Amino acid sequence: MGTAQSEADVVVSVEGLRTYFYNDNRCNKAVDDVSFEIRSGKTLCVVGESGCGKSVTASSIMQLLPRLARIEEGSITFNAQSGALRIDKLDRNGRAMRNIRGGEIAMIFQDPMKSLNPVYTVGFQIAENLKYHTRLASRAIRELTIEMLGKMGIPLPEKRVDQYPHEFSGGMRQRAMIAMAMACNPRLLIADEPTTALDVTIQAQIFETMLKLKAEHGTAIMLITHDMGVVAELADEVAVMYMGKIVEGGTVEEVLRTPRHPYTKALLASIPVLGRGRNQQIEPIRGSTPDPYDRPVGCQFAPRCDYAGEKCAVMPDEEYVSFTHRVRCWKHQEVAPDE
Amino acid sequence: MLTYILRRILLMIPMLLVVSFLIYLGLELTPGDAVSYMIPPDLGGQISPEQMEAIRESLGLNKSFIERYFIWLWGAVQGNFGYSLSGGVSISQIFLDRLPATLELSIAAILISTVLGTALGVITALKRGSATDITLTIGGMIGLSIPDFFFGLAALSFFALELGWLPVGGRLMPGYETFWDRLPHLILPATVLALSLTAGVMRYSRAAMLDALSQEFVRTARAKGLPEWRVNVLHGFRVALTPVIVLVGFRLPFLIGGSVVIEKVFQWPGVGNEFVSAVRSQDYPLVMMIALLSVLAVLIASLIIDILTAVVDPRVRL
Repeated sequence: MGTAQSEADVVVSVEGLRTYFYNDNRCNKAVDDVSFEIRSGKTLCVVGESGCGKSVTASSIMQLLPRLARIEEGSITFNAQSGALRIDKLDRNGRAMRNIRGGEIAMIFQDPMKSLNPVYTVGFQIAENLKYHTRLASRAIRELTIEMLGKMGIPLPEKRVDQYPHEFSGGMRQRAMIAMAMACNPRLLIADEPTTALDVTIQAQIFETMLKLKAEHGTAIMLITHDMGVVAELADEVAVMYMGKIVEGGTVEEVLRTPRHPYTKALLASIPVLGRGRNQQIEPIRGSTPDPYDRPVGCQFAPRCDYAGEKCAVMPDEEYVSFTHRVRCWKHQEVAPDE
Repeated sequence: MLTYILRRILLMIPMLLVVSFLIYLGLELTPGDAVSYMIPPDLGGQISPEQMEAIRESLGLNKSFIERYFIWLWGAVQGNFGYSLSGGVSISQIFLDRLPATLELSIAAILISTVLGTALGVITALKRGSATDITLTIGGMIGLSIPDFFFGLAALSFFALELGWLPVGGRLMPGYETFWDRLPHLILPATVLALSLTAGVMRYSRAAMLDALSQEFVRTARAKGLPEWRVNVLHGFRVALTPVIVLVGFRLPFLIGGSVVIEKVFQWPGVGNEFVSAVRSQDYPLVMMIALLSVLAVLIASLIIDILTAVVDPRVRL
């Protein structure tokens, strides 16, 4: 349970990360002082509304930020076999970063329709990854590619390997993406809303595949989602983000059962629960997310918060309510359900 | 694929028939007549209406419009394209004389503009927003908006007259046999024609490249840790290629029709130059053939584009 024991398992640790976007001389603090750790064999779910900075956090780890974005502060440490590496210090497209990207940390994206290149066969695109991260000969690469496709549950992989993405269904394409990502057996898989573009039955299959990988290879998974149902099912740890900050984090039990932040609580209250009948109260969160260029002072959630008071005009610090459970709210004691 | 190509070729026949009729109709509706053009103005008074009528009859011009069209068509189908009204030379001979010149000029111009335009387009896309990009983009805009006759005349006056580096115009000189002998004559018109075409290719490939690079699969390629050149060339450029092929493909008819303006400016003895004089002298058999061949070239070019697109893009099925 203790943190000391799991220290060795930390694959990536992010400390006080700030990633800003610069646009028309304005600055958007997309990620603003975010810290977390991802451990091998564990799934960290990052939850939040669109624009809360969850994808930017992931892109920061991969150094795949758009040109106008920059890591301003903080550190991203990747614990490679050879020792700790400061990702934020590496050249964006330098050799060291490229070796990590795709090899040690892999990423899959939201829309498998768009994230595969339409003019190359699926096999070619998986093999490309192996070509740059392993020393295998082309015959071995091809065999491994077919094997990966088969492992991801794609039928007739030796035939599918030479097909183009448009000959695959949506779910198949996402499997192919996972096969591509997992080809080099990375230590961390970042999945940026991997099932948002797929239908629900496929969603379950994709998650099953990911869980299997986690169990077999001890891969750490960072799963970005806005679906609380997915969180409940897959997460070991949860980080709830709002306007560039982690407002609450902890184990899945802690965060879902005893939410300490009004935002988490409101998110959970806005989900319909099966079995409660059609008269159940679904409470949407009032108001809307503020304009990132015109932020409220102090706690970002205060204008939409039922608990807000005078104190909230100042941004609260992170406070640990248990070993693992942290929250960024002045009123977290009021929010916590009676125990 | 083969049946598709065959079907496309068969479809060209009715299209050509319709187009040939339309061109014929257009010529008929143009004011003026070939016979009066044949007679030098200073001899106009010495020729009686009867003589005019005799010439007209000898050329078959006294028949009705529809009748003449079918006579022409029948001849064309049999491979007899008729004779030029103004020169009396057989039209096949005119093409044999003129086409090589036009081909030479157009192939050179299309090659230069495609290679140069694509390269510049890709460079500007990769260096988007930089000084290179802005300079080249503005240059391209200027290239697009300045008419090529102006370019041609400016180039002539500078390189040929002022500096005397290159010949003023024409293509052949007595005793000039090989391509290398003719090369100095080709440089100016080919470059001027190529430059005006380059601007278009450049703008097009820049846009296509930017579009390709903004696609999500490019991010995937980066996420795989591929080196930048591979991301840009194999994932960006390869996808940007399709629209560029279409653009260049639509310029293939140029090979036959030639560039009227450039050929005129440089007195290049090509098809385009001939076309202008043929239209002016109401030389309808000649106009018909040049126009028809140009139409045929367009049809063939679009077939070639479709085939190439299918080759380059696996999503396209023929």
